[in-house]
Amino acid sequence: MKIAVCIKRVPDSETRVKIAADGKSLDEAGIKFVLNPYDEFAVEEALRRKEQAGAGEVAVICLGPAAAQETIRTALAMGADRGVLLQADKIPIDPFETAKLIAAELKGATWDLILFGRMAIDDYNTQVGPLVAELLGLPCVTAVSHLDIEGTKGVAEREIEGGIEVVEFPLPAVLTADKGLNEPRYPALKGIMAAKKKSLEVKPVQAGAGTLEIVALTPPPDRKEGKIVGEGAGAVGELVRLLREEAKVL
Amino acid sequence: MDKIVPAHYQPALPLDTLILQDGAAGAGDRMDLDVLIVGAGPAGLACAIELARLAKADGGELNIGVLEKAEALGEHSLSGAVVNPRAFRELFPDLNDSDFPFRAPVGREAVYLLTAERSWRLPTPPSMRNHGNFVASLCEIVRWLGAKAEELGVNVFTGFPAAQLLVRDAAVAGVRTAPAGLDREGKPTPGGSASNDLVAKVTALAEGTRGLLTQAWCAWQRVPSENPQIFALGVKELWETKQPLDRVIHTLGWPLPSDAFGGSFVYPLEPNLVALGLVVGLDYRDAALDVHVLVQRLKQHPLLRTLLAGGEMVEWGAKTIPEGGFYSLPERRSGDGVVLLGDAAGFVDVPSLKGIHYAMQSGISAARAIFQNLKRGAALAEYDRLVNASYVARDLYRTRNMRLAFRHGFILGGIQAALMTLTGGRFPNGKYRMHADAEVARRLSAGSRAGSAETPIGVSKVDAVFKSGNATRDTIPSHLIAAPDVPLEVARFYSRMCPAGVYEAHDPEVGAQHAAPLLRVNAPNCVDCKATDVLGPRWTPREGGSGPKYKRM
Repeated sequence: MKIAVCIKRVPDSETRVKIAADGKSLDEAGIKFVLNPYDEFAVEEALRRKEQAGAGEVAVICLGPAAAQETIRTALAMGADRGVLLQADKIPIDPFETAKLIAAELKGATWDLILFGRMAIDDYNTQVGPLVAELLGLPCVTAVSHLDIEGTKGVAEREIEGGIEVVEFPLPAVLTADKGLNEPRYPALKGIMAAKKKSLEVKPVQAGAGTLEIVALTPPPDRKEGKIVGEGAGAVGELVRLLREEAKVL
Repeated sequence: MDKIVPAHYQPALPLDTLILQDGAAGAGDRMDLDVLIVGAGPAGLACAIELARLAKADGGELNIGVLEKAEALGEHSLSGAVVNPRAFRELFPDLNDSDFPFRAPVGREAVYLLTAERSWRLPTPPSMRNHGNFVASLCEIVRWLGAKAEELGVNVFTGFPAAQLLVRDAAVAGVRTAPAGLDREGKPTPGGSASNDLVAKVTALAEGTRGLLTQAWCAWQRVPSENPQIFALGVKELWETKQPLDRVIHTLGWPLPSDAFGGSFVYPLEPNLVALGLVVGLDYRDAALDVHVLVQRLKQHPLLRTLLAGGEMVEWGAKTIPEGGFYSLPERRSGDGVVLLGDAAGFVDVPSLKGIHYAMQSGISAARAIFQNLKRGAALAEYDRLVNASYVARDLYRTRNMRLAFRHGFILGGIQAALMTLTGGRFPNGKYRMHADAEVARRLSAGSRAGSAETPIGVSKVDAVFKSGNATRDTIPSHLIAAPDVPLEVARFYSRMCPAGVYEAHDPEVGAQHAAPLLRVNAPNCVDCKATDVLGPRWTPREGGSGPKYKRM
């Protein structure tokens, strides 16, 4: 089983992000970057598929700055076999430009599966996976929360509003991993040591300008201060009245 | 009950589980190293850097591993901090001060004596003069040192706490790490990972304050110290302020009671990024004293209130500090296959409020001794000789009795400390005896009775823990060993002693069939400050990456 996993370096969700002076980007000073959590599910799934098949390769591909080598090492420490960094100073704002660069890299080999995270937790675009599938002419199933593969046929489950959608697809295919697909493993000490010796190829790339432009970033408005209605059973009536008349949630 | 002696309720150090024969069953992977360093703080990383350089200069290479319990470098590191650059200059002779991860040189500084509403500027004591030192964040220092170590080929394993000391006869062979992914009952879950054994020719314990394996080794090898080690608890907040701060401030007096030792610090990392905190000796006498509450009160002082008005607290943290000084150092900090570094050994000088450069210097000295040990079998006792001949031991000896003079209160202590300063530590002569903090009796004052718990103004403990970045899994087993049934007064004492709201005291339920425990333990809240290990339930490591995620502390 030959599997490619496309990953992204994103700010840790615990990080308190600040908008930079230009008003259009994040101030990266002091931000801790991590492997995108949805991509962790993708890496884990790839490792399990390869382990199940008993043979194959898991390659990790990442578009990002030089520091993203660290992100790739995280995936290598989990057990991926090799990494490729498509090095660009800035990740394009336009997902289509990102998809073109990744698709170009993937075209160099044949894959049984190409996995992405459902989305990156920084821009929430959920586009690069399906765009790459389109560029490669492969079928695509997004937000996979359960996966079965028999030979060259796959069955994926997707959690949709009020139910589960079951999708059949032929391999090779592009899948994006949702939460619940698996429980990613803890990196092992041996894995961390081994990761240092695994191949990590760095290829400089030049992203196109794309057709999107960020005009402004603004933080969400401050939450209004809460109101304490009172204490004890006596306050319930007033609380219900306020929820009904002021908040209009009842 | 009118007094509490914390030691009466403290479980013993679980030596039988902490000391493990090498080769014992139960570990997953096993890894062989030349040198294992436990703790990626300033001591451990300085040791790793110096050692890797010595090996390289000698034309060889050593397999050096550094274990760190935090998820990422620096996330469990907390200090004031005003740093003396001396050890940096020794470790990086080719770099300039401006290359080091400092924020700014100390310019103006002031020491104030506070009352509730007023402040008096005091002449800065000579030991507290910081001209030539730098304001810095220890998190940033540790990340920088970690990167330097990795550039030199050192393996830094973050997220792996050392939980047990592996031994062969009287020699230290390495450590066993804490397992990850256990459920509440301590059973492994799928996707979890077992303990790992790391064995090395030399193990350097650089665990930081109140190091668990350091305690275990000293107890196991019966390495005494003239005085027991004593500790202080520091609670720190980082504020983005609307008003700029142009000086380093230290305060004494209010809001501390006169029978507690301590003071506050207020440091500008940037003009509008201010670190502030309060440090209180854990030999305080009032069982109701709550350092976190005192910090909240301190912020209401006119001196700080105006500075903080309109600002925002962006980070919070807590940590103990070994304050015993010279007479609390273990008699030897080296043994068969092992050395003790930094805070774990107790290299802190309280009068100058410094520890980071001593920690680094001890790491540098240890590296030199370890290198000679590996190369030509020289005894590791060379490390003790190097430290004893260095400014580390000299500085600590000069101030040997200064912190100890305060055991009987602030005023008498202040007078004696002044005399010691004037005479370079020679007067009053002799050695002041100290009790371990847990042996000091606490009085139950009005404040410690039910219903009179003080309401913190500013930040609650729950919000504070959130601001420490603590995102510990809720379903991990409790890592704190508490006595099975403690009286309500003791439960209340714990609830105030712990700055992170780990302990909750619950009044007995009237008429209940089965008595519910009076002490409830919210273990995931723990930020590893170790105050609990000094005065209350014992601390043990949790799965890697648990606890706080400090960024600029």
